[in-house]
Amino acid sequence: MNLTMGALLAILGGVIAAIMGGVGSAIGVGTVGQAAAGVVSEDPSKFGKVLILQILPGTQGLYGFLVAFLLLVQIGVMSGEIIGGDTGLTVSQGLMYFAACMPMAVGGLISAMYQGKAAVAGVGIVAKKPEESGKAIIFAAMVETYAVLALLISILSIFSITSIITG
Amino acid sequence: MAKQNIKKIEILASINDVKEIVDLVQRKGIIELSDIPDDNLVDKLSTSQSFGFYEKYLNEVKNALKTLDKYCPKSKGLLESIIPQKDNISLAEYLKNADKANAYLGYCYDINAAEKQIEESATSIARCELVLENIEPWLDLDIPMKYSGSKTTSVFIGTLPENYSSETLKTALLPYLGDEDRYECEIISSSGKQTYVFVICHNECKQLVYDALRAIGFAYPSDPTKHPPRVRYERYNKQISDLKDKSDKALETIKDCAKYRRDIEFAYDYFSLYKEKYSAISKLAVTENIFILNGYITEENAKRISDELEKKYTVAINITDPDENEDVPVELKNNSFNGAVEGITNMYSPPGKNDIDPNPVMAFFYYALFGIMLSDAGYGLLMVIGTAIAKSKMKLEGAMKKTVDMYFYCGIATVFWGALFGSWFGDIFEVVAKNFFGVADLGAKINDTLGFTLFRSGIALWFQPVQDPMRLMRYSFLFGIIHLFAGLFASFYKMWKANNKIGAICDVIPVFLLITGICPVGAGILSVNVPSQLKNAGLIMAAAGAVLIVLTAGRDSKNIVGKLGLGLYGLYNTASGWMSDILSYSRLLALGLCTGVIASVVNTMGTIPQNTVAKACLLVPVFIFGHVVNMAINLIGTYVHTNRLQYVEFFSKFYEGGGRSFTPLKTNTKYFNIKED
Repeated sequence: MNLTMGALLAILGGVIAAIMGGVGSAIGVGTVGQAAAGVVSEDPSKFGKVLILQILPGTQGLYGFLVAFLLLVQIGVMSGEIIGGDTGLTVSQGLMYFAACMPMAVGGLISAMYQGKAAVAGVGIVAKKPEESGKAIIFAAMVETYAVLALLISILSIFSITSIITG
Repeated sequence: MAKQNIKKIEILASINDVKEIVDLVQRKGIIELSDIPDDNLVDKLSTSQSFGFYEKYLNEVKNALKTLDKYCPKSKGLLESIIPQKDNISLAEYLKNADKANAYLGYCYDINAAEKQIEESATSIARCELVLENIEPWLDLDIPMKYSGSKTTSVFIGTLPENYSSETLKTALLPYLGDEDRYECEIISSSGKQTYVFVICHNECKQLVYDALRAIGFAYPSDPTKHPPRVRYERYNKQISDLKDKSDKALETIKDCAKYRRDIEFAYDYFSLYKEKYSAISKLAVTENIFILNGYITEENAKRISDELEKKYTVAINITDPDENEDVPVELKNNSFNGAVEGITNMYSPPGKNDIDPNPVMAFFYYALFGIMLSDAGYGLLMVIGTAIAKSKMKLEGAMKKTVDMYFYCGIATVFWGALFGSWFGDIFEVVAKNFFGVADLGAKINDTLGFTLFRSGIALWFQPVQDPMRLMRYSFLFGIIHLFAGLFASFYKMWKANNKIGAICDVIPVFLLITGICPVGAGILSVNVPSQLKNAGLIMAAAGAVLIVLTAGRDSKNIVGKLGLGLYGLYNTASGWMSDILSYSRLLALGLCTGVIASVVNTMGTIPQNTVAKACLLVPVFIFGHVVNMAINLIGTYVHTNRLQYVEFFSKFYEGGGRSFTPLKTNTKYFNIKED
């Protein structure tokens, strides 16, 4: 196993993606939870509807986790054999992985926070017009598109970088 | 045609039959009543009083049921608590019981009175207990608390702050009274921060002792007794036990009434039907001898109800087409496969006047896209089994039945895609084979046994997205383009049918040419091997499409500059819009990967220990917990994103919405289904 500076940078990238996605989701889910609790205290039967809204900003945490996990698999940490041959990952290769993780890290953090805000507003819709709760979900889900795009670019970069390195 | 043809119906009949006819209409549940305005020719029936009565009765019944649920809850099965079940009763039985509804209401009054009694008793008991609490420290005093002394003596009964004994009290009073023995005291009781004292002294030094006591914080009790405290204590104890008896008796009454629960539920349905009926009657118009009922009805039902009414009553029925600019409700009729997604469409908005019913076009895509995003055959199988049990064991109706159907078909699609992608609860089969049976490559082994290549990669019938995400990405875009083209052709069909043939051709064909033409080039960018002839042909096609858009998009403008400007703008709009729409389908890949990878992580975590037994012991709980959580989160994500693809990408191609659902007057019951004989 070659624990080089490059490997460290790559892992650091994955870890940051997981952390920032998780932080963003925690903030988002937390804010929606507060608003949702207010609605449920008035009308407990709306629990199911507001729960879905609360879970929506939670996916960024999953995406961050997914990027980190795929990165660990791709650079061979999970299998115990880090790629890059005898010399291990070079610093520039490590930085490539690091950069690949950044879209998910930043995109995940910020989109989760704003998705949380959109979902809080959606909780207001559920409180006043429960029959329109589908629209509330869509408003919040629009924000998630950018987390999905960030996830995609991160994953595709990680896969392509691996195929460049391993040939 | 899945959108039903709606007709206007006008029923005129003798005023004597009004109740029976409205009853019949309500039981059939096929006419949406419209309000007839009050004018000089007709009158309105005033129903607000009866309506108010039924509303009041209904509230009584509701409260009674709530009380019953509180004290004698009905035991429900797990499924039943998710989807409430209704009992069937025949019309004859309904009518028979209807006569008893007032008696059933009586039970409700009893229950509500008893509940009120219980609540009042509880408040009174709490009040009495407070009194008891105040009097308890005085129980050792055997004279009335109000006693203030005899002819020659003065008595002070009250509380002192802080904890005193006779000695410490004496020390505390020393600065005020000096050494002399001027008083006699008895400590009745003391508790933490308070001392309850009895002090007696000669009348002569009454003022002195009183001032001294006041100085250290003496206070008379707020509510002194006329008799020794124990008398009051016992009186209140008696009161409490009386109240408890009363409350117990009331509870007994409620429990007795629990056996009438079914009757009370019947009364609930009965009164809610009546409430609705009277609000319907207020929409009718009447003259001295006849009444008029106006409403909307589907064409196929119109004939049937007129035949039935004409056979039974003397009526005149007029069925006409609604006016062009009338707010006509929309009723859809689809088979189970297409109808299951009606709920999704209605959540966006029911079809508007010019819309076609989108459900037949979108149902297949909805299930397919849902399947790609959830993409785990194990989860799909659970959905199919769960919904199949619900469908077979329970009486489902209306929207609930459609939702269950929808998840059933989504589950089938999920199994299909999951099998193609080789994901069964992640990679559980491979993990088990590898860890417990020493088979390193399960798919290859099965292929060897079968003698042909069933599994191309792992246990995937097609390919594993994790191995080749780019491939799934290309297919995601392809599925997206197919989905969007379906929307595009739906818009063609819609415009063609609305006799806007120029619009249909000009707005659809160029876009189709442009997008189809760009596809080979796009595929080339995504590293697909496309022959250059195909690319060139595509480019010519796209160019033709682009030119046609520039030429036709501005056709509404009057002058040539406007035409050209709008045309160019149209081209830009089409190109950028379609580009972002198609890219949006990359979420198929992202969500599909998300489910599969996390499911695999769960399995990996379950097999961390080296020892086989420990592995098995850990795997079972980790498997159950991990996959339940993963499935729940991904189900919600998949549902949301499938809806988004339908609403934002697909509907924007042809669907406007803005319609109003058909809401007929019907027997809207909660506990019973009334079946016509």
